[in-house]
Order: sequence, then structure tokens, then C-alpha cells
Amino acid sequence: MAKPPIANDIRTLRFLAGEMTQADLGDRIGVTRQTIAAIEAGKYSPTLEAAFRIARVFGKPLEEVFRWEEDSSS
Amino acid sequence: MAFREKLAWVTLGSMLIAYSIYFWLLATRFDLSRPDGPPTVAMLALFGMVTVAQVIVIAIATSILAIRAQKDANAKADERDRAIARRATGVAYVVLMVGMIVVGVVMPFSEPRWKIANAALLALVLAEAIRYVLVIVSYRRGWHG
Repeated sequence: MAKPPIANDIRTLRFLAGEMTQADLGDRIGVTRQTIAAIEAGKYSPTLEAAFRIARVFGKPLEEVFRWEEDSSS
Repeated sequence: MAFREKLAWVTLGSMLIAYSIYFWLLATRFDLSRPDGPPTVAMLALFGMVTVAQVIVIAIATSILAIRAQKDANAKADERDRAIARRATGVAYVVLMVGMIVVGVVMPFSEPRWKIANAALLALVLAEAIRYVLVIVSYRRGWHG
């Protein structure tokens, strides 16, 4: 399946949050470490609820965590 | 690698090996030219042995995986696990339906019972194999449901 044009800054936000681990973030929003890794790598698009939960963990609005990357074909 | 992906590898591998052996033995060790097909008891015994062996292999492999990654093994399926399982099950259901239509609607008019029974088993194995392949592919290449 084609990768959707959605990027995220979770890796950066984890770093800024004191090197929060993927497992820690996963525990806080109720998913596995592997799912956080998949989201960061753009291999999985989280549900809207999970996306909001991630944003709340970092105290950021959704659009500062996830963004739509426009390109010439979209 | 996600715990459920490892389980899918184990189950797929053991299932393909087990039922390849079953169908190979059925084709080579039984007299399929008999009018009433191979002896039912012998065929059932072979099926039973293969199935029990597969279950034992899966149980041992699952136990080893669970011991090596206890936290992952105890974790409930999350939204990605469930999305991947839904997708794979949906596709496998279509494969199973086609197989059951062939087995239950088409074959009874032309084929003996032993062939119908084994065709049903083959349809089940194919549907399950496709389900596990899709699970593995979805974990490895990503899934954007």
C-alpha cells in the first residue's frame, strides 16, 4: 500500500522530552514499542485517538506532531 | 520484530511444513486409484498425526518466544495489531468462501468424498496461509488502514 503523505516529529519530540523511550511513549498511550517505531518510520498511520494521545503526552497541538506533506502529485 | 509477527512466522512455517507433508504423503503413500479412495481411517490417522505435531511445535515455539520476551507476550493487542489482523482476516475470509463454494457446491456433483474432504482441508490451509502472509507483510512493509 502506498505510504500516505503524513510525516511526524515524534522522534524529535521524544528527544526533547528527555530521551523518552519508544516503550515509555507506548505505555503512556496504550500501544506497543513496535507500534511507536512503526509510526515514527511512517509504516503505520495511527488512529485519530492515538494521534491525539501522542500529542497530549508532549503537550503539543496535533499539527505540531503530525503534518501533511504536500508534493507535486497530491 | 513485534511479538505477533514472530507468532505469525512460527504458525505459518509450521503449518506449511505440516500440511505439505500431509498432502505429499497422501499423494505418494496411498492408493488413490481405488474406487472408494484411500482408507478413511488411515487418512484420518495421518491428518491427526500431522495436526498434533503442528500443535506441539507451535506450543513449544510460542513458549520459547514468550519466555524470551515476557513483556511483549503479556501485552494486549494494540490498535495496529488489531488493524492488521482485521485486514488479513478479511482477505482470508474471501479465499475461504471461494474454497467452500467449490468444495460444497461444485465438487459434490463430480468428486468422491475423500477428495471433497481434502479439498476442504486445502482451502482451510490456503486461507490460513494467506492470512499469516498478510499479517507478516503488513508488519514488515507497513499498514495504513
